[in-house]
Amino acid sequence: MLGSILSQYARSLAVLAIFLLMVLVEVLDIRDAIYPGLESFFNWMNQSSWIGVIGTTYGSVYATVEALHLLSMAVLGGTVLATDLRLLGIIFKDVPSETLVTGTHKCFGWALLMAILTGIFCAAGVANKVYFMEVFWIKMLVLIAGSCFMLFIKQPLLTSRPHTQINPWTIRLVAVTSMLIWFTVAANGRWIGFS
Amino acid sequence: MINELLLQFAHWMEAQEYSQMLVAGYYSYSWLEATHVLTLMISIGSLFIIDFRMLGWVMPNVPASTIAARLHKPMIIGFVIMFITGALLVYAKPVETIQSLWFRMKMILLLLAFINAWIFNNRLKTAEGNWDNDPVAPGPLRTGAIISLVLWCGVVTLGRYIPYDWVDCTNTTNTTILWAAGCVDQLNAL
Repeated sequence: MLGSILSQYARSLAVLAIFLLMVLVEVLDIRDAIYPGLESFFNWMNQSSWIGVIGTTYGSVYATVEALHLLSMAVLGGTVLATDLRLLGIIFKDVPSETLVTGTHKCFGWALLMAILTGIFCAAGVANKVYFMEVFWIKMLVLIAGSCFMLFIKQPLLTSRPHTQINPWTIRLVAVTSMLIWFTVAANGRWIGFS
Repeated sequence: MINELLLQFAHWMEAQEYSQMLVAGYYSYSWLEATHVLTLMISIGSLFIIDFRMLGWVMPNVPASTIAARLHKPMIIGFVIMFITGALLVYAKPVETIQSLWFRMKMILLLLAFINAWIFNNRLKTAEGNWDNDPVAPGPLRTGAIISLVLWCGVVTLGRYIPYDWVDCTNTTNTTILWAAGCVDQLNAL
């Protein structure tokens, strides 16, 4: 009985658990306790790790990886926009939304992986600066939230059954949330360069 | 001759009140740059999906012409925003930008990308028909898609190089680079 209820609402319960965990981390000052300990890791990333050394020594390599980061974000944005605008019924009205959701997911996954790998390189090159930037930490939190949302909520929900069997408002909400999350990630990333 | 004219034009733009306002306001310039970069996700994101479809990498079960037609509008909207913000970025820092080797190379690649897009569109129109449902587009369209991907990757990379000063007029004495970047004063001083 309990097992069937739990399995039926597994995703909702997982989201609730993550939300509660975040509240606990904040209320119990866990975040403040972890943050100072990370500074030495960021300094090591910048000064001793090989990616940090390459990033700080060779400006042209750093700029090229930055460009790759932008390109992977462009592909990621393209797949997100195509899928979410279809879910909202704005474009691709003559193509089943299920086809777009499954057809772009692999490309999205590769773009996300590429963005994360190039992002780690870029962050290592300026790790001693980004550690002190609030906007960097916001980007990281939204990136984690976005990845979890895509992999554990959006994709499983939209591939679990035909979209006609899902409440249209749930689909719209998922699409808008997805676009907002990735826009926030990209905008925060851009703002790191200005800070 | 052309370098002198471009530099004169850049100095004239730099003297404009609005140009100085754009660069003096920290947030106005940052917002312009952020909009220019973020619109990549709409313009180049849509363009790459069309190119990827031609190569059979995404949605091979959806007709290629449908993907190209449906993403055309968001792509054009994205490019229009990028060109407006890009032009304003040049207007804000005209001398620095016009004397940037990377900016000049970017403009050449941009021109090539548009010529390729025009050829690609013509090929797409003439090739319409029995291949549309194939997972991979015919050879000429695939070639066009690969050229498009390479050129736009080059445009983005060169755009990313512009803020770096490796080959700025004041950082090099190589006459070829100085000429290509339009460093008139440095060339005259040699």
